[in-house]
Amino acid sequence: MNDVSTNSPVAQRPAHVTDAVTYDFDMFGDAAYVADPHKRILDLVKNAPPIFWTPRNGGHWMLMTHSANFHASRDTEGFSSEIVPQAMIKAMMAKMPPGSPHIPQPLPITIDPPDHTAYRMPLQRAFSPKAMLGLQKSIRELAVDLIEKMKAKGGGNFVDEVAEPMPVQIFLKMFGLPLERQQEYRTLVKEHMEGNQNHDPRAIVARMLKLTSIMRETVLERKENPQDDLISMLWQSEINGKPTTLADLENYCVVLFTAGLDTVVNGISHGVLHLAKNPDLQRELRANPEKIHGASEELLRRYTFTVPLRRIAKDLNFQGVEMKTNDRVMLFLPAADLDSSEYPEAERYDLQRQNSVHIAFGVGPHRCLGSHLARLELQIVYEELLARVPEFRLDPDKPVTYHGGHVVGPDAVWLRWN
Amino acid sequence: MKIKIDKASCVGNARCAAVSPELFPLDEDGYIAVTEIDVPPGMEALARRGARACPERIIIVVED
Ligand code: HEM
Ligand code: SF4
Repeated sequence: MNDVSTNSPVAQRPAHVTDAVTYDFDMFGDAAYVADPHKRILDLVKNAPPIFWTPRNGGHWMLMTHSANFHASRDTEGFSSEIVPQAMIKAMMAKMPPGSPHIPQPLPITIDPPDHTAYRMPLQRAFSPKAMLGLQKSIRELAVDLIEKMKAKGGGNFVDEVAEPMPVQIFLKMFGLPLERQQEYRTLVKEHMEGNQNHDPRAIVARMLKLTSIMRETVLERKENPQDDLISMLWQSEINGKPTTLADLENYCVVLFTAGLDTVVNGISHGVLHLAKNPDLQRELRANPEKIHGASEELLRRYTFTVPLRRIAKDLNFQGVEMKTNDRVMLFLPAADLDSSEYPEAERYDLQRQNSVHIAFGVGPHRCLGSHLARLELQIVYEELLARVPEFRLDPDKPVTYHGGHVVGPDAVWLRWN
Repeated sequence: MKIKIDKASCVGNARCAAVSPELFPLDEDGYIAVTEIDVPPGMEALARRGARACPERIIIVVED
């Protein structure tokens, strides 16, 4: 059933990888995965080793269990987020001719403690639960506006109508960027999401440079004329005791753009897709809106969809498996949250679950900075959708298709009602 | 009953505070603000639920 033709070429297996821990799975191209990702994940959880090496996409480890993901995420000395070590990046930058453009980096995602902490701290307060409460009203207004527009059309592709414009507009608002340029940012988000399949580093750098050039004018303007927005606040912050520079500001723009937009798009889309397939759940939540909060958490667990990357920073034996320096590791969180030793009958969507503490937002120091914002966006969209749109279902003429990769999700979710 | 928290390992999930903002106070940046809490009588169940809610598993309940 696995159509091998969509898979990437097979890499040579390193000597330290044994047969017992080798398993062939292409997280970008596996046909069954792209046809129905979480169905395939349940199959992998049952049939693949708990930690395995796959020869696809250059060869890398996959961590499947909750325990493996939990411990690897918290061991930043063994499992480094510096896919290219910062020391090497610094050396490369030093060799560039003077006047070369600053190549933005998504910090703090790709830097290890202790510097990680220094880069994360300036963002922490702006994304704290308390700060998010202040955004609640404008998120709700935006959700209502988008949902009413889709409703007026009598149906549509929920991804394009609501899931995608929503986080982009919130991003612009938080940053204090002009809403008139929304279209430019939405185009970039689209390119970014499509680029998910093509991980050519030059294409990634080109997109980052495009983003920073669109934002530069506003960023520089806020340095002179601070306002009540994130850019102005970041200009007033310090990193390791030094005032932030234009390069720091550009790094922050890039990290929030890459981490905070397509994640939310995919998260909302997974949730609405599940609701569309389950009219009983819709009915239960419409009758008891106070259950939506728990329902949203269980959707995050059942359809965990991000796959962070690590580099082994020293030879180690991890839960009985030999790993060598510079091996690449996927924290396959979608499988961790479907681990039945942690969540009995993990495949069941269950609002009564005893243990509903998932790791969809990761674990350890890199745990999602934007989780409070994301939770708010998800919950509000479900609330307003259920309150405003009658029982909806998938449009049978437009089957759902998916993408794999680091952010797994549906490409389109066509809804119908009446 | 007491709660002990490995504060240095807190990553600011605020899941504990989502269960009970009174028992689990956060600082301005969203991290847990305390290392030890005496659970007032009647709040034991909330304390246990808050401890279970921490994805980092750094909140420990010490029963009397
Ligand atoms: C449902 C939506 C989201 C999910 C599932 C999600 C998931 C994650 C995960 C798993 C990580 C850990 C990555 C790692 O360990 O390497 C992460 C990190 C991060 N997320 Fe999110 N995220 C979401 C939404 C957001 C939003 C809305 C923002 C901001 C506006 C955001 C900003 C970040 C940042 C900045 C990091 C890096 C933190 C660090 O390295 O210290 N995320 N996210
Ligand atoms: S739930 Fe755990 S990690 Fe999160 S704020 Fe509370 S103590 Fe910290």
